Parts: sequence; structure tokens; C-alpha cells
Amino acid sequence: MNSPPGQPQGGRRAPFAGARIGRDGLLELRSPEAPRPAPPRVPEGPEVVQAFISRHRPFFTLVAVLAAQLVLLSLQITPAQHEPLAKAWAVAALAPFERSLRGIADLTGGSWHAVRDLTQAERQNNELQARLAADQTQIRNLAENATENHRLRSLLDFRAQLPYATVAAEVIGSSPGEGSNTVLIDKGGDSGLGNDFPVVTPEGVVGKIVAVYPHSAQVLLLTDPAAGAGGLLESSRAQGVLKGTGQGLCRMEYVMNGDAVSPGETVVTSGLDQVYPKGLPLGTVMTVGNGNIYKNILVKPAAALDRLEDVLVVVAKRPAPEEAKARH
Amino acid sequence: MPASAERPINVYRVHPLTLWVAAFLALVLQTFLPVVLPLARLLDLPLLVVIYFSVTRRSKVFGTLFGTAVGLAEDALSHGFLGMFGVVKALVGYFGAWASVKFDLEQFLGRLALTAALVLLHSLAVDGLRHMLLESPPPIQPLDLASLVLLNSAMAVVLFQVLDRFRRPA
Repeated sequence: MNSPPGQPQGGRRAPFAGARIGRDGLLELRSPEAPRPAPPRVPEGPEVVQAFISRHRPFFTLVAVLAAQLVLLSLQITPAQHEPLAKAWAVAALAPFERSLRGIADLTGGSWHAVRDLTQAERQNNELQARLAADQTQIRNLAENATENHRLRSLLDFRAQLPYATVAAEVIGSSPGEGSNTVLIDKGGDSGLGNDFPVVTPEGVVGKIVAVYPHSAQVLLLTDPAAGAGGLLESSRAQGVLKGTGQGLCRMEYVMNGDAVSPGETVVTSGLDQVYPKGLPLGTVMTVGNGNIYKNILVKPAAALDRLEDVLVVVAKRPAPEEAKARH
Repeated sequence: MPASAERPINVYRVHPLTLWVAAFLALVLQTFLPVVLPLARLLDLPLLVVIYFSVTRRSKVFGTLFGTAVGLAEDALSHGFLGMFGVVKALVGYFGAWASVKFDLEQFLGRLALTAALVLLHSLAVDGLRHMLLESPPPIQPLDLASLVLLNSAMAVVLFQVLDRFRRPA
């Protein structure tokens, strides 16, 4: 009895793996499964290059041969500059790179020098500024010295012209508070100063000493309300008394309304107060007005009483040269 | 005539002795002939030898190296600089081998045309090299160039027939 197709006959099995009994009862061999093909191997870098060179070997051979012979020619041919072509080609090939490197080096060096110069310039700038400040200070000092020199020279000249013995003094302080017009000078009793000694400058009268200390003295300015000096109008020869207003100006009193006084007229000391020597400038008439009996005359002091620095204190009337000869 | 994919390429072999004897004789004749025959100045037997063997061997590497060797030998025998003819004959050998694979050169006309082209290439390359390297190169004379091409092509016809007797199929 035949078994169904595909079934082993009579229960017979295939004698070995890979075989089976077919319909006709014949043994059929089944080919084993074909192995999967290996994936293609991807060539790596050097292999690619090698394959490329092998494929184009004739071309690379030609290039190599031509290059070798061109080098040979360049070693022999010498142009007009008397240098072989090889040298000329080598120099021409390297020159752009050398120029580029030189450019980079110059740029780097230039930048470094610029930074260094900038730092140096900053340091120099600071030094110069310090020197400038020092020089400016010195210049100011020199200018101050020159001004002081001029002022002192003027004082000296004025002193030489005065027929009085004087002591030069420097204003070292002023009185605090409003309404008080006094200054302190650096000469006192040890220099022979005394109360009521007149104090003058080349411009005019300043005031008189009202207090003497061993090494300093206090001077009452003309503009103080307590101050007063005998005045004489230089043009009209009218006499009066100059008194301070306490506000930087003076007032000429006891000048009759009938006396001719005009603004701008100079007022000098009359000498009648026995304090100030005669003829010293007191001030200039600013305004003139008639009062009840006397004129109202406002006088601007001749001396710059708000900028006093060096003054002369009249200590005694200097003897005349004839009297000095007679004495000796 | 361009080569087709199905055209059988005949490769020949030449005995190395034949190769070098032919080159040697070409050089010797090239130096001797102009003395007795002024027209021989226009001939370039070493060039024709290079063309023949490069085409016959169909190998670009061989053509380059053989052309270089013959060119350098020619330079050594001439007053010029070493490498002048070596460079141009290397180019001729290369392009001759290249053309032998690309075109059918078994026919007479094919050979003649290739020879003429390579002779022209050789002359132009020499002039170009002189203009490039020398400060005062000689001027290019078109008539001389044409005469040179014609004479060498005619000489090649005879020479190639003689040399064909010494080649064997590979």
C-alpha cells in the first residue's frame, strides 16, 4: 500500500540529512541552504590610494620621469642672472611662503611692538604729566616769587624815597568777623614798633598800629569806622578828616559845602593829626554831594586794603643829610 | 579608426636586443648622416624608433621610460642640455602607447597619421621647452616644421617595415 505523497514509504525515513523520499519513491537530495554572501569589504584609505596609483601607474610614471628631467634641466640652465634655473625655481616656489611668513612675523612683531610702545607711552605719559605738574608748580612759585620780588622792589624803592625811617613788615593775618578792619603784621615791639605808628604801602596809607606785641602788631585800617586821618584835597586844598565807613570805603568830613571838590580828586595826608606824615596818598574822591553844612564826600582808599601783603611802618623821621653831617 | 570593444588587440613582443640595437643604430646614424647628407638634419631616427616600439609594446610605462632613455642619450650626444629631448621623447612614448590602445594602428594610414602627429608633437614640445627655459630660443619656422613632419613620416614608412620583421606576436 502506498503511503500519501511526501510520507516515507512504509514508514521509511531518509537515510541522511538533506535527503527525502520523493513521490516516485526515489531518493531526492536537497541541497543545503546556500550560505549568505559576505558583505563587500569597504577598502580603507591607504588601499584606496594604492588602488588609485596602480590604476594610473603609467600616468604617474610619466609625471615622475618628466619631473626628474625638468629638475635635471634646471640644474644645467643658467639664465642671465648666472644662477641655475633650479635655484631660481626653488626661490620662486618658496618666496611666496617666505613673504607670507615674513608678513606674519612682521604683523606679530608689529603688534607686540605696538603693545609695548603703548605701555611705554602710557608710562611716559604718566611721567610727563607728573613732571608737568611739578613744572607748573615751579612756574607758579617762580611767578609768585617774581611778583613778590617786584612788589618788594617797589616797596624798597618807595622806602628809599621816603624821608622817614621805616620797618618793612608782612601781613600775616586779618581780623575775623565783619565790621572789624584790622590786620596783623609780623613785626612787633622787638622791631621798635609802637602804638600809632603809621603803616603805608607804595600805593598809599594803610592805617596805624593800635596794638603792639613782642613779635607782631595789630594795624587799624583806614576803612575801619574807628579810624581817622587828617586829609587834604590836593587840588582844592580843602582840609577835612578822613574816616572809615566799615565797608571798604572812607568818608571825607568837615569839608564846607562851598569848597570846590570834584570826583577823581586825590586826597593826601595833611599832617595835622600828628600821626601820618604830610603828603602821603589817602585815596581818591568817588562821589561828592552837599550836606547841610559840610559836603558828603566818599573816598576810595589809595592802598588796596583787601590785598595787603607787605607794608612799611614809619618808625621815625629820617634825619636829613646836612643834619647827619653836622651831628658827626 | 577608434578601437571597438570587440576588436582583437594584437600584442607583439620584441627581443630586448633588437630594442637596444635599433636605438643605438638610430643614434649613430643620426649623428653620422647629417655629415654626408645635409637633408638628414631634418630626420629624427631616434624619435621614429621610440614611436615604433611604444606603439608595438602598447605599454605607456614602457613608452615613457624608453623615450626617456633614448632622449637622454640624444641629449648627451648633442650640444644642448641633458633632459631636453628626454622630456619630449618621454611624452611621445607615452602618447604613442596610449594611441596604440585607443586606435587601430595596424593599417598603413593609421600608422602614418599617428607618426605625423607624434613628430609634430615632438617638434612643438621642443620649441615650447626652449621658449620656457631659454632666454633666447630660436624662432619657430612653420615651413621647417612642415618639412620635418613630412620627411619623418616618409622615413617612418620605410623604417617601420624593416622593424616589423623583428617583432613576434606575444
